Amino acid sequence: MLAFIQVLTSGIAIGCVYGLVALSFVLIYKATETVSFMQGDLLMVGAFAALGLHLGAGWPLWLAAALAVAFVGVLGAGLERTVLRRAIGQPHLVAVLLTFGLGMMMRGSVASLPAAAQEVHRLPFAADTYAIGPLVLAASHVWVVVATVVLAAALAAFFRYTRAGLALRACSEDARVAALMGVPVARMHTLAWSLGAALAAVAGLLLAPVTFIHLNMGLIALKAFPAAVLGGLTSLPGALLAGIFLGVAEAVAGLLLPEGAKDVVPYALLMSALLLFPNGLGAGLRRGGGR
Amino acid sequence: MSGLRTAWRHLWPWALILALAVPAMGADYALGKATLVITYAIAGLGVVIVVGQAGQIALGQAALVALGAYVQAVLVGHGLAPLLAMPLAIAAGALGGALASLPARRLGGLYFGMSTLAFALIVEEVLARWDSVTQGAAGMAVAGFSVFGWRADATLAQALVSLGALAAALLLCARLVDSRHGRAWRAVRDDEVAAAACGVSPAAAKMQAFVVGGALSGLAGALYAHWIGFISPEQFGLVFSFELLMLAFIGGARRLGGALWGALVIVAIPQLIAVLRDHLPGDWARAAGLELVLFGAVIVAVVLLRPSGIAGARP
Repeated sequence: MLAFIQVLTSGIAIGCVYGLVALSFVLIYKATETVSFMQGDLLMVGAFAALGLHLGAGWPLWLAAALAVAFVGVLGAGLERTVLRRAIGQPHLVAVLLTFGLGMMMRGSVASLPAAAQEVHRLPFAADTYAIGPLVLAASHVWVVVATVVLAAALAAFFRYTRAGLALRACSEDARVAALMGVPVARMHTLAWSLGAALAAVAGLLLAPVTFIHLNMGLIALKAFPAAVLGGLTSLPGALLAGIFLGVAEAVAGLLLPEGAKDVVPYALLMSALLLFPNGLGAGLRRGGGR
Repeated sequence: MSGLRTAWRHLWPWALILALAVPAMGADYALGKATLVITYAIAGLGVVIVVGQAGQIALGQAALVALGAYVQAVLVGHGLAPLLAMPLAIAAGALGGALASLPARRLGGLYFGMSTLAFALIVEEVLARWDSVTQGAAGMAVAGFSVFGWRADATLAQALVSLGALAAALLLCARLVDSRHGRAWRAVRDDEVAAAACGVSPAAAKMQAFVVGGALSGLAGALYAHWIGFISPEQFGLVFSFELLMLAFIGGARRLGGALWGALVIVAIPQLIAVLRDHLPGDWARAAGLELVLFGAVIVAVVLLRPSGIAGARP
């Protein structure tokens, strides 16, 4: 039983990271109707930026982390302004290829830094464990869960109470009507990409103590896509919940099923869900009054 | 006569490229690369059919190539003649395509694209885990191609065998694209609802496109396995799927000839980088990510500047 709870908590923690990446993907997709295949690379860049500022430049960790997230946010906005804006209104495949190409360029750029490539790095935080009775929790897992809850609450408040959040929601509801109501749609697209990129960077920082920082850490985004689709692609809470669900399902599968089945579980679940519920599991949730 | 003239108009750039490549790189090397270009082009044709003609988002085409490659490798490894194994490899690709297209019955667009991605990742994992047949992640060696005791060991022979396969594939595709099926694909691509209203079944059209695309991928995979001589699941990962997508886009996904041009670019980029490395100053030449950056830049540039590809109409 204890082992099961242990596995469950680690599943929830990794699921939160899936959920955050899925959230960033859905945020962008909802607001701009473009698909981002570079969330994993943004996540990786964010982690490496924090690493470089903290260990390379010697800045305090909190400052390095904040600046890294801000940097990736600006990067997302810049890419939207220069490149990704051109994909709006085009077939999905255009955005898929553009973002994949940009992601390759990011991965290549980081790989070209001799200090970064081919090594696993660690950020010196959340390396210890907490003991609650007989239960031992990794600090990194606790951090991930707490940060996810805080972020989700902040995002919910942003979308509910701020002008920009409301405008963004109006935009994703109907861009044309939003424009008629005086919402600067183009600026909202930039904001969505910036927010999406920054969220991915946060996910990268949270992932850093769990899997450490390396060039291929962005592959985790491949698990976030099933989460986003399971959540219905247009539901923010759906994406987060689906991410946690997949994380737990994967962890439980690792405990019960033979070696190797664990990595297939998210995709098998995705395939069966797509075949059985073509509108996504989040469709019901959305109808129930969510966003 | 006019048929000959159009054929010549399509062929002369290729004759010119080969004529330039042979003295520049040496005959053996140039022919080896030509074989690779042709094999990629066959797989690319599959993407052109699925993406360019039928308008579906296919993010897992590499898995179908992998099916062809593995069926060929396993059967030849058990002593079947390569020429007899090849139809089965093609059938495996087609069957995989049919399976991958099943979600398309109920889903459209992006959701379906995601399901092809999931399909490909599942196939890759199965190939890596099914040790007893595929030898798992370690990969397996594949014997050379041979017919009735004649072995295609020379690069010229390999290039000719691939060229024959490509010619057959191109002919088949040209006929299909001009047929009822081709018109159904384009109708579904342009407007699914309108197509259905005109009596074209979108689900059937999508499945046909995937079966044809899968068969071409299977053929390319079977040839690839022979030419490379060694296959492992990781060769057929997501990156290869995207390479095939890029190939179709760079060349021009709406035209069959686009697959050839795209294949040329995809095979040429690593060569170009090798040349660049010799001429760039110290630090830049050793940068490991140069290839990724250049690949990414090419795809971004093509999508932005030449959305219909090299072979497509000028904007």
